[in-house]
Amino acid sequence: MASILETAASVGVFNTLLAAVDAAGLRGALEGPGLFTVFAPVDDAFAALPPGTVQTLVDNPPQLARILKYHVLSGAFSREQLVAQENWDSLEGAPIPIRSTDPFEVKNATVVTADVVCDNGVVHVIDRVILPG
Amino acid sequence: MTATVASERIKAPLIPPSTHRYADVIHRLEAGGSMLPDTPENLKQIIGIYKAYAVPMDFYWRDLLYIAERVFLNPLPAFKYFISQEYLDRPNSYAGDQSKLRIWRGGETAHPELLEFMERGETGRMPKLLHHLWHDRVNMEFAEACMQAMLWHQGMGGRFNNYLESDAYKANADRAIKAYFKGNPLMLGLYALFPEMFLEQVRQLSYYANLGLFWEVMAPVFFEMSDIYDEGGFKGVPDAMDFLVNGIFAVAGRPIYHHLYIGDECYEIIPKSEGFTWLYEAALPYVEAVFYRTAPFRGTKSYNAQADQVPADQADFHYGILYADLFPVGSAGIPPTLLMQDMLHFLPPYLKEIYREHKRGEEDELIQLGVTFQRSMYNVTSAVIQALRGALLYPLDDTNPEHLMANRRFFEAQMDRFLRPEARLSDIQSQDYR
Repeated sequence: MASILETAASVGVFNTLLAAVDAAGLRGALEGPGLFTVFAPVDDAFAALPPGTVQTLVDNPPQLARILKYHVLSGAFSREQLVAQENWDSLEGAPIPIRSTDPFEVKNATVVTADVVCDNGVVHVIDRVILPG
Repeated sequence: MTATVASERIKAPLIPPSTHRYADVIHRLEAGGSMLPDTPENLKQIIGIYKAYAVPMDFYWRDLLYIAERVFLNPLPAFKYFISQEYLDRPNSYAGDQSKLRIWRGGETAHPELLEFMERGETGRMPKLLHHLWHDRVNMEFAEACMQAMLWHQGMGGRFNNYLESDAYKANADRAIKAYFKGNPLMLGLYALFPEMFLEQVRQLSYYANLGLFWEVMAPVFFEMSDIYDEGGFKGVPDAMDFLVNGIFAVAGRPIYHHLYIGDECYEIIPKSEGFTWLYEAALPYVEAVFYRTAPFRGTKSYNAQADQVPADQADFHYGILYADLFPVGSAGIPPTLLMQDMLHFLPPYLKEIYREHKRGEEDELIQLGVTFQRSMYNVTSAVIQALRGALLYPLDDTNPEHLMANRRFFEAQMDRFLRPEARLSDIQSQDYR
């Protein structure tokens, strides 16, 4: 089985996310020991942000890392496990609310593909970039 | 979220009308509009005042950073408003050719109108010290009042304030204090005796840096809006709001930090690596502290805290520009009065013309421009509300009624803050409020 990042790279719709992970210096952490749950926004989700938003973040790795960490939970959780709890603590520190179980909605994003199981965790593909607050 | 609010506007409502007291405003927000009605005069007024605000703001942000980074803990900071040439020339990160994210087409150093005013003031050319003593200068006290509102209210979201209490911050501040007073046994002795007092001063200086970095963005945003308007670029108030929404997103990830410079040596009191951002640690706390809360200024009205005329809960404070009764007597140094005086110097001709034509003409120009400023800040607040809706909730053209109801609840909760009688939201719906 492939890792989270290898899986993401093979699909071809997470180019911005993967570039952002590298720019933020998070590749090592996501490939290190431990299991993760990643809510992975597709390229279109990043493209929908107003012009300049992503560039400012890419130019500032610690700030970018903070936003990316908001998309990650420590531990591997399936859709079934996630919907059983209202809020989950992200690696960023702020909670991620589960707003709807069917359709499966995480904060203001809809999960378009759930439960992509990888070597070191689970990926849930989302249609929007989620932000703390 | 989408690039502009405009592209999300919907035609047929999928949810029942709001029954809120401000239902009309809520429906306008849901249609991608602003709390400020879309009229040609409102557009003219807000753009004109943005320009008049941006010029002194170009001084505010530079001097705030000068004080945070250079003046620092000077025990007699009599010359803290005598900004150095280095900081007047400091390139704005969002203007000029060197900018990586250019917002304003203009230059990166201090605005020419600002420099001209600093030279002549209202009186004429004379030494800087005389301008200062005659108070014929930019009212930097206004910027400091805004900073103090942020410092005092605290706890308004973001992690900035928590960090100021952390061990890491205390260690960084300690290093900076000791380096700043190196070779000064008197001040080092006082520091040993009263460490908390010094630390609290450094915390305040961190808010100087925070606000300086916040306004460094807003000045070029407002200058660019003025230039776009001058070339006929905005069709209405929602266009102007959209520009602000996009600006908020574009710079949301800008680092907020506090560096101290002693000579060429840099001491990182709040390093960029802490990950603090313009949106969460500066913009949102600023809007909350300055637009909504601030403090009951002495001057036009006396407040009796014992008679519960001042809320016990800081979150209920409502003395910001969105609630202000604009009557600038000027006694007791009312901060908004200082800003109005600053903006008066840089009004574009079309705004002066509007004021001449209404009320008492030039006699009450300060009040009229204060009302204009109030309108313009309702538009900025609308942009913040729309940006938050875009970031945390759903597009306006979402087809899921539950999502639209979530947006509705958010808008209604925001409007609840204007239910108190002091709010000026109802007033700005009419053009007769001047």
